[in-house]
Amino acid sequence: MTALAPELSDVHAVVEQVWSSFLGDEEPLLPQYDASGPLPADDVWSAAVSIHGGWAGTVTIELSATLAQNLTRLMLAMDDEPLDDADVADAVGELVNMVGGNIKSLMPGPSTLTLPYVAAGRAAHASDTTEVARLDAAWVGEPVRVSVHTTS
Amino acid sequence: MRLGVTMAPASFQQIAALVLRETSIIYEPRKEYLVEARLHPLAVQAGCSSVDQYVALVGVDAQERRKAIDALTINETSWFRDNAPYQAFTETMLPALMASRTERRHISIWSAACSSGQEAYSIAMLLDQHLPAGWTADILATDVSTAMLARVEAGRYSQVEMNRGLPATSLVKYFTRAGSEWQVVPALRDMVRTRHLNLAESYIGIGTFDLVLLRNVLIYFDQPTRHDILRRIHPHVAGDGYLLLGSSETTLDMPADLTALWDREQLGRVQAHRPAGATNRPVHGLSATASPISAALTGA
Amino acid sequence: MRALIIDDSRAMRSILRRIVSGLSFETAEAGHGQEALDQMEAGLDPDLCLIDWNMPVMDGYTFVTRVRANPAWRNVTLMMVTTESEQGQIVRALAAGAHEYVIKPFTPDAIVEKLQLLGLVDKGVLA
Repeated sequence: MTALAPELSDVHAVVEQVWSSFLGDEEPLLPQYDASGPLPADDVWSAAVSIHGGWAGTVTIELSATLAQNLTRLMLAMDDEPLDDADVADAVGELVNMVGGNIKSLMPGPSTLTLPYVAAGRAAHASDTTEVARLDAAWVGEPVRVSVHTTS
Repeated sequence: MRLGVTMAPASFQQIAALVLRETSIIYEPRKEYLVEARLHPLAVQAGCSSVDQYVALVGVDAQERRKAIDALTINETSWFRDNAPYQAFTETMLPALMASRTERRHISIWSAACSSGQEAYSIAMLLDQHLPAGWTADILATDVSTAMLARVEAGRYSQVEMNRGLPATSLVKYFTRAGSEWQVVPALRDMVRTRHLNLAESYIGIGTFDLVLLRNVLIYFDQPTRHDILRRIHPHVAGDGYLLLGSSETTLDMPADLTALWDREQLGRVQAHRPAGATNRPVHGLSATASPISAALTGA
Repeated sequence: MRALIIDDSRAMRSILRRIVSGLSFETAEAGHGQEALDQMEAGLDPDLCLIDWNMPVMDGYTFVTRVRANPAWRNVTLMMVTTESEQGQIVRALAAGAHEYVIKPFTPDAIVEKLQLLGLVDKGVLA
């Protein structure tokens, strides 16, 4: 049985809007069409939210550590101060929360969203999950990947 | 080095100069990314093999020039943009128009540079709220861009667009969720019809309207064309009707024959233009005039 | 004027704080509805509350119903700022007494325009 999944174009739209609203549209999010394999960066952060109820799935963001730090500075308006893990976790967590919340509203409801889980590392997905949507992009030259998984 | 910038510096400078000249928006060199990202889809549509090639095309093709400027102008479209004109419509214009149309009981409106349609549908919402039973209305939405007209017909807007200036009560009343977007309800879409129109070209067959919205579009034309538009649009505004320009737009520096065609009236914080000399309408603002000479002198 | 920002996300509180301080609001913050009520009961007198929906301890919807049930707080403007964007949710919030509703993601312009609609910010202000 095929799991219900959000339309890829809707996922793109959600990510674009979250991105441009909070990180400005001066630097656009550029889709990368030929990305495959692990995220092309040495240090990676990831964050995920899960949706339960009328639909079940997980929304994951992976991004280079550089990108994570840059967007943290933007979102928290911290230009020069040193960033700690909590700062980055707050910013990246909110990003995945917004993307996940909007994806939740695309799918059958009512559903709830978990709190975001953020890690200073790559995301790993269990063998019984299926990727149903994915967007690879670059922002100011740094890679980011948003994916949606369901349990098969 | 950043990923993906392929645009030549000369192309960027050319485009930046064009945008600055037409809109006063400044694109600094570090914004090549943004310019390229926004021009790329237009370049593809125009059949160009590179953004540089497209920029060359923009230099010679007026339609592409307009599209490029649009793509590079920060999208200011919101619902009930600037508020005051819509307030004036509800409080002053609509009651006045209704008072002199008691037999026909129909209001006609032309959104003359409708873009993605927020203006047309904003008026439609107000008509739904304020037009009594037994009255009808039609809204003509025209634009030079067929892509924009398709958007108006579909009546679909993104979440981000829905946040802009739209009361939440109107959101839930006049829109339904459609995927990641919101769509105008059929009752409102039925009020609006679209037609392709270049304001610099003929208005034949357009008809006559009680209210013409010509907001924030004259800036795209040079001065002689602007004057020509204001001349040729005049017969399409009902004798007791209204023409609205953008809030920061002015019709100072009009030649005498043009000031003779239009009276200016202040409706609250909004300046409206009315066909000059009509005697069959109530006077609203203090600056209503009947003679061409006093129109030129009062200036407003 | 004073705004009370109620969201369990520090990043979101930071973003909203910057937007409304720029509009000359003094700001206070709370991580959930109960914390916000406690501050109000202790004498914080906000003109405006910006309220997330999904929060621990007390969610934004419940907060709205509590505020609207108290006549002492009848002049407080309540604006939801949330990812909850299903039509039914918005209708519920408005029915519970929220005055306005902003869907995340939003731009600063959107907040300014909503506050103008509510009469809390002058119509001449640009974001």
